[in-house]
Amino acid sequence: MTAFSADLGDTGERRRTSDAPLAITDLIDEATVQSIAEEAWLALVGEEEYLLPLPGGPADDAVSSWVEVVGPWTGTVVITTGRSTAEELSRALLKEHAPPVLDAEDVDDALGELANVVGGNVKAVLPGPSALGLPEVGNAPEVTDPADVVRIDVLWRGQSLSISVQGSAGALPDPYENHENEVPL
Amino acid sequence: MRALVIDDSRAMRRIVSGILEGFGYEVQQAGHGREGLDVLDGGWVPDLVCVDWNMPVMDGLQFVSAVRSNPAWRQVTIMMVTSESEHTQIVRALAAGAHEYVIKPFTADAIRDKLALLGLLPQEVFL
Repeated sequence: MTAFSADLGDTGERRRTSDAPLAITDLIDEATVQSIAEEAWLALVGEEEYLLPLPGGPADDAVSSWVEVVGPWTGTVVITTGRSTAEELSRALLKEHAPPVLDAEDVDDALGELANVVGGNVKAVLPGPSALGLPEVGNAPEVTDPADVVRIDVLWRGQSLSISVQGSAGALPDPYENHENEVPL
Repeated sequence: MRALVIDDSRAMRRIVSGILEGFGYEVQQAGHGREGLDVLDGGWVPDLVCVDWNMPVMDGLQFVSAVRSNPAWRQVTIMMVTSESEHTQIVRALAAGAHEYVIKPFTADAIRDKLALLGLLPQEVFL
């Protein structure tokens, strides 16, 4: 309970600005997300792999990967593209290390790792301390507050792809509370 | 020379392993820190471990602490390869016993430069 909420006469009108939840639009802009994504693509996908900042429209068979960021700002960093684009992206990422047959798990894993890399670098420019979750793949988490979203729509090899940094409503868990790593040392 | 690559992403394991094999390393892979410890416990002790931070079961920081707590593995060089890029995280990893830190995204040249700094790049790769 804050000093302000403890004051029974407080109607909320005097609440400090810093008590307001952080909106992602106050913390990062599209140009920064674009820059982070371009750096990831150039290093991991290829030196001549560009993300053109042009909207290409939604994919028919969209698949998303995302990582959660938990901290002063809590939300998810989501990459969404078409399934066939995700397969092409996986091959480009793996290059000569790609197996002869790329299965769905390979594609999900590669798309998840891209979300992990982009998400980690997004987290680095947000106020900390924050924790990064493990990548997930599937249908993108719903946008709970359209005002708490920064999104870029790009074309990679002429195919549409979007990256959104979107807030999550609800309570903020402790960023260093880790329930998954419980193996005693 | 031997290297153990620990990452929960098999894509990243393949990429890092491929880079190291290109430098002449014999490579084994593990999907999380516990699996990595199992490899060492089994007697396959590498010269180099490349380990991610965020993984299920046992994360990279726990793995580093576990390796450093065992005197038999004192000679193992540990390089964290992770998307955790804040200064505080790098300090935590180095304090736990990691020797080097590579931030994702990286290039093969970045890995090569770190190995050269660590004295773990085979001489023929310099040529």
